[in-house]
Amino acid sequence: MDRKRLRVVHYLNQFFGKEGGEDKAHIPFLIKAGPIGAGMVLQKILGERGDVVATLICGDNYLAQGGEKASREGIELILPCKPDILIAGPAFEAGRYGVACGGICKAAHEKLGIPAVTGMYEENPGVELYRKEVYICKTERSTVKMAESLKLMANLALKLTSKEKEGKLLSGEKIGRPEEDHYFPRGLIKNEIVDKTAAERSVEMLLAKLQERPFQTEAKRPELQPFYPSPPIGRDLSDCEIALISDGGLVPKGNPDRLRSRGNLIWAKYRIETFWPREFPAAALEVSHTGYFPVHVLEDPNRLVPVDILRDLEKEGIIGRLHPFFYSTSGCTTSQARCQEMGEEIAKELWEKKVDGVILTST
Amino acid sequence: MRLQIERINIGGLCAGSRTGMSDHVLYVDFGELERIILTDDRIKAAKLDIASPGDRVRIVNVVDVIQPRCKVDPGGTDFPGSLGKLRIAGEGRTRSLEGISVVLSNRYSKRSYSSLIDMFGTGAEMSRYGIMTHLCIDPVPSDGVGERNFESAVKLAGLKMAVHLARAAGRHPVDRTEVHELNLARLPEGALSHLPRIAYYYQLYTPQHDYQGISDPILYGSEVTGLLPTLLHPNEILDGAVISGHTIRELDTYTIQNHPLVRELYRRHGTDLIFAGVVIGVASLEPVQRERMALMAANLVSNVLGAEGVVLTKTHGGMPHVDLALVAEACENAGVKTTLFIQLVHGVGSTADEASFSADSLDAIVNIGQTQEKIRLPKADRILGGNPATTICNPDFAQKAGDEEIEIEGFLLAGVFDVLGGSKIMAVDY
Repeated sequence: MDRKRLRVVHYLNQFFGKEGGEDKAHIPFLIKAGPIGAGMVLQKILGERGDVVATLICGDNYLAQGGEKASREGIELILPCKPDILIAGPAFEAGRYGVACGGICKAAHEKLGIPAVTGMYEENPGVELYRKEVYICKTERSTVKMAESLKLMANLALKLTSKEKEGKLLSGEKIGRPEEDHYFPRGLIKNEIVDKTAAERSVEMLLAKLQERPFQTEAKRPELQPFYPSPPIGRDLSDCEIALISDGGLVPKGNPDRLRSRGNLIWAKYRIETFWPREFPAAALEVSHTGYFPVHVLEDPNRLVPVDILRDLEKEGIIGRLHPFFYSTSGCTTSQARCQEMGEEIAKELWEKKVDGVILTST
Repeated sequence: MRLQIERINIGGLCAGSRTGMSDHVLYVDFGELERIILTDDRIKAAKLDIASPGDRVRIVNVVDVIQPRCKVDPGGTDFPGSLGKLRIAGEGRTRSLEGISVVLSNRYSKRSYSSLIDMFGTGAEMSRYGIMTHLCIDPVPSDGVGERNFESAVKLAGLKMAVHLARAAGRHPVDRTEVHELNLARLPEGALSHLPRIAYYYQLYTPQHDYQGISDPILYGSEVTGLLPTLLHPNEILDGAVISGHTIRELDTYTIQNHPLVRELYRRHGTDLIFAGVVIGVASLEPVQRERMALMAANLVSNVLGAEGVVLTKTHGGMPHVDLALVAEACENAGVKTTLFIQLVHGVGSTADEASFSADSLDAIVNIGQTQEKIRLPKADRILGGNPATTICNPDFAQKAGDEEIEIEGFLLAGVFDVLGGSKIMAVDY
């Protein structure tokens, strides 16, 4: 197949762009036709496969201090070049340069919809800031291995822009695993087409385990934090305000806060007196949660959230007061990390409102 | 128990004036098929179509895919308990038609999910059903028939059609015969006694999705909610004792009829391992029942089947991971080594976020893929089982079957992912 030559824009800081040293770190964006400095090496690596059509240069301080607004200026400059990809750096261990490379790559991807690749040493602060959004190749600490680093970046760039569907990913993308293509893991999970069925793999793995041969599990071990129940409230409940939280997805009809029924990332609160009148039609409620069939909850939502019992206890003086709001979220295939954050957000609010205790109910 | 599956390759499926087979082409008389379906008075009408590979056809509202099969022996029953009268499945001769299927659509279902099959483009390339020819059935309920009752009628119509097509193959020569023979009562067999005894734990079902609170009948015509661990001969599974429920989610009847893990264990039986048998069980919503299931299942695997190792597969859903892990952990505690299947549902994060268990002994995990990965599908010219305005599930935006492009989650494209291990897909950290 006759491949179209790739149009590459190369990003460099003032130093690598041959504009000057620290004294020029403040200069704004400028663009020059063709490759400059390390860009010459990049052009040589690309050969017939692509052309470095322009070099975008900016002072490290200008971009570091200007943030996203500054990145947008750079993007506007490269727009007329109609690039297929942006390659930035590599920045090696230079911190400000690394952050600038990450920022401009992210902007290129978001604003122009083109892929972008950069390269950094693992301790560069740009890695942690941008590795989830940007492909960052692993480089050495120093600039000695410039050509090797650029080779990795060019290889990745070619894969990211390839239109051929011959990769091993179900999606048709050609990108290899992080260790194969030498980039920092992006915190993504992708489906690969492999040589053997899951049935074949499982029996092979079991035989290896039985015969004490090495085997490779297909899911990393979860790093679960130990969870210790809180100590009892320790004083007379008749003085205490108790709140109700549930992850069963109970919301008013119409789901006004748009809790997702699966992979939900938000929580909402509803005033019990209006959301939960003493005599209510079940039709006023719905459940946004695909992990269970909510027939029993819709018949009587007190089965999920024990408002009726708490009201009784309040009336009998066994608890001081039922907190006026019910906190609702939908816990169906929500990531653990987000669950923890939501818990902290709700806890903070309850803490500020001086709620003494919480009853959490799940499905 | 000895099961002989006689496989006949079908090169084409065509409408004809009578139902029959000649030179690998199966002709079907739509009028006759319709009359059979309409003997069930819960069905008012049925639209029948043929979808072939390459047709720019999208089949929607798909609730099951069934392989045409029938018993060849006199007195044999097809899908016993579900369609035919109760017999134990798994013995004798069964005819199986290859390369075709019966696809059931239920456009009247109000369930949250149904599946889709594309006969062209990306969707056909990804799915094992993209390269088969399908008899598509799209029935209409009679007035006043309730949703669940209609679902049973739809399933029954599909099973009847599967049997009818297989019978129509008549005395056509068999292309390939597959024999599954296992005498569980007399294992291990002499010279093979040094091989490890491997059992299979088959988590059949989870009641968490029971539509309208009613369970699907999937085992010899019976529902299985609350089922305690039960021993099955693997041949029963391959021969119609188990069918899928009224929703696909990485599992349809076709896949059960060709159970990939059961066939893999058979394939290696006698060379690498001794296939020690199958224990079936279900997920539960209740912790004590979960523990009961785990302990009793592990005891069957360890002390009744005498297995040294067990592979465990799970049914669709997040919560059944916990049930499966408890069974696996109980097996490990009983000295039986395990590998267990999981299914991933997030595209962002790490494979470590996906396991709902952390016992040290559960260190051999097989993943069947990230089943919610989005897949884009191009415009179809013709929609079966619905119409161009049929809603296609997407958690992020509204879309219709006839749109210029649609985007669906992988688990809704039938024949891509497989909870029983038939797919060559694995989710990996990127």
